[in-house]
Amino acid sequence: GDSWGIFAFLCAALCHLPAVPALNGTEELGAGQSIQKTYDLTRYLEHQLRTLAGTYLNYLGPPFNEPDFTPPRLARAERVPGATVDLELWRGLTDNARLAANYRAYSRLLCYLRALDGQAGTAELRHRLGHFCSSLQGLVLSIAGVMSSLGYPLPAGPTAAPGSPGAANDFLKKMDEFWLLKELQTWLWRSAKDFNRLKKKVPPAVVTLRLEARGF
Amino acid sequence: AADPAVISPQDPTLLIGSSLTATCTVSADFHLRAEDLYWTLNGRRLPAASYTALGPTTLSVALARLNGSRQQSGDNLVCHSRDGGILAGSCLYVGLPPEKPVNISCWSRNMKDLTCTWAPGAEGETFLHTNYTLKYKLRWYGRDNTCQEYHTAGPYSCHIPKDLALFTPYEIWVEASNRLGVAVSDVVMLDILDVVTTDAPPDVHVSRVGDLEDQLSVRWSSPPALKDFLFQAKYQIQYRVEDSSEWKVVDDVGNQTSCRLAGLRPGTVYFVQVRCNPFGIYGSKRAGIWSDWSNPTAASTPRSERAAGGCDPKGGEQNTTLRRELKQFFGWVKKHAYGCSNLSIKLYDQWRVWLQKSHKTRNQV
Repeated sequence: GDSWGIFAFLCAALCHLPAVPALNGTEELGAGQSIQKTYDLTRYLEHQLRTLAGTYLNYLGPPFNEPDFTPPRLARAERVPGATVDLELWRGLTDNARLAANYRAYSRLLCYLRALDGQAGTAELRHRLGHFCSSLQGLVLSIAGVMSSLGYPLPAGPTAAPGSPGAANDFLKKMDEFWLLKELQTWLWRSAKDFNRLKKKVPPAVVTLRLEARGF
Repeated sequence: AADPAVISPQDPTLLIGSSLTATCTVSADFHLRAEDLYWTLNGRRLPAASYTALGPTTLSVALARLNGSRQQSGDNLVCHSRDGGILAGSCLYVGLPPEKPVNISCWSRNMKDLTCTWAPGAEGETFLHTNYTLKYKLRWYGRDNTCQEYHTAGPYSCHIPKDLALFTPYEIWVEASNRLGVAVSDVVMLDILDVVTTDAPPDVHVSRVGDLEDQLSVRWSSPPALKDFLFQAKYQIQYRVEDSSEWKVVDDVGNQTSCRLAGLRPGTVYFVQVRCNPFGIYGSKRAGIWSDWSNPTAASTPRSERAAGGCDPKGGEQNTTLRRELKQFFGWVKKHAYGCSNLSIKLYDQWRVWLQKSHKTRNQV
């Protein structure tokens, strides 16, 4: 009903990610270095998230901030892209599919994170959230840079999944927020492994060519 | 898929001290009965004595004399199945309506902007999220304006960066609102010209007055931001000895940009600060608001060379202390000064300041 319309509008308005990143520097950087940079970014974000999640869960209050808390994952929480995947499936992903999955996931997650209540919590919490969103946007652009330098097309921009309205009440909203933070955490763990794998697969020829061009 | 259970009331707002009876009704698909349910509030199990089964699939709980919410996102009242699983939850917002914000105080920096601070009307405004909106309008013109940049000078502050009119007073007030109500402060009327402050005076120099042991001369410049405006600056100087935290204030400096401090102790390092008050802007008879103090500048009064009164051991001790100090000083110079041409007694004083800061922390008034 109303809440879906508002949510779809909010998402479209907040998620103005460029179709093609203006990252001229990446070409010179070389795919290998971009992948390393992206890997470093995921580790940095993982570290930032630990503090942010701790603060946010304290804001939601017990039981959300209790150590082994696991609320049911309701149907509406399914719209947050899951990081967990079958091991064989994950191993078998092509570079393109692997990067695209990361790109799509973080674009969506950034969108939902930005839609968190702008009035929530203390000024400090809002400031931390804002800072994290900026860093996360940096990660999305970094992934786009890697894809572009390897010649892969960017997946289409995020759209609000039809039929997934905003939470019907405040408690359900808290559960959605809990799962959002959990998925972010899981994705950052997974991405570190994704980019590690990609690092090993970037053809050394690409790097050699660049060195030759510089007259080494 | 249907929700496992429904709680009523869902996300209510309540006054501190009120009582509440909540019900949890399990959906037919879930094959649970009232006896299989229990309640928690903020993670703590509520006593079974407060439960009542209102039907085969409905369990109620009675909460009496509620305290203010533990967190502003609402207290978490949760209905669980016997194995601990969450069936449904409701956020309770318990607090008090806001009281009129008080103590509105504003200042304008160089007449370019306006920053205002206020205080919440009551201590208990933290249970619920309270929104503060600062509004202002020119006295004889209709339109209300809303301040947009909050928290620039603390949690209860707002900054108006531009489009401020001079020579006509403003009416300023703050509205506080939360889920339980709204409160509006009294209206404060002020003229921007009466609340002007400026930057601390730049280029503060402190130097000796020849060989005079008990005097120091202080010079500074007028704050440049106000140089095009008609005003009479008033200045204030404060100074203290290195080892003391007591500042002496010189009040009657007037609008000169230099002053001589007298009655000082010989051979002592002093820290000096200057601040400015843009008095009488555009002919206003009122004082403005004092600027911040300038960063402290240090200088030392000379000590005359008098023959020591005889006892060699005493003289010897003093020499060892001084020598050790000088040795440390030259070590510091090698690291921090660029070239020997900068070696002067002023550098020695700067070092004394640094030594002071690194050994002790002092609050500057």
